[in-house]
Amino acid sequence: MTTRPRLKLGSHLVPGLVALALFVVLAAVFLTASFENAQGFGGAPITASIGYAMFDLAGGEVPSDGFLIAFEIIDLVLIAALAAAVMLARRESDGKLVGVESIRTDGGRSADSAADYAGSADDADADADTDTGVSSKEGAISADEKVGEAN
Amino acid sequence: MVAVQYYLLLSAAIFCIGLFGILTRRNALFFLMSVELMLNAANINLVAFSFQYGNLTGQVFSLFITALAAAEVAVGIGIVLVLYRNFGDVDVTKATTLRW
Repeated sequence: MTTRPRLKLGSHLVPGLVALALFVVLAAVFLTASFENAQGFGGAPITASIGYAMFDLAGGEVPSDGFLIAFEIIDLVLIAALAAAVMLARRESDGKLVGVESIRTDGGRSADSAADYAGSADDADADADTDTGVSSKEGAISADEKVGEAN
Repeated sequence: MVAVQYYLLLSAAIFCIGLFGILTRRNALFFLMSVELMLNAANINLVAFSFQYGNLTGQVFSLFITALAAAEVAVGIGIVLVLYRNFGDVDVTKATTLRW
């Protein structure tokens, strides 16, 4: 059964009125202000001009300031944000990373299940050896018994 | 050609929706989304005035703001993750202490 959204008037009324009042004030200011006609870019290549402006190169057809320093600063900020996000997201317990088991190894198995698989394969080999030994002994015993019975 | 007032109206509407979200929501993810709405409202203003005055500075600025918004979201989601680990919830009103 689908439910339609309902208006929560209780705790949302005052913030809603604040936002609405701000919009009304802004709209009144914008609609009563007078602007000249837009100059536009006159068919100039905008994307290329943005590239020239971003790297502070001459050659852009549309006037703009140079933004090379700002570009480098944003680069550093993005790297810092990446490092901060990784630092915040990793889980550490007693200096050891937790959650590494979810890293996928080859074959799509997680690291833990791969280790388990390797361990179980070793165990299986050992079991197979033991089984063969027992069965060969049993086979030898049964052959001796058969020889004795025949004699 | 659309007059610049209508771009400003659109921008004001988006900004107010973002403000409403920030004032009412408790979920940290909705907080981040609301901040994005407000940043994009500023972007619309910059691009509109860039077209109005025939100068590309506003458009380049809007690109930088987009990059900063990406950085902000990366750190914000990291904080939301830590919030969930420490408090078992992403309700921002529950994180009222500075305890580790």
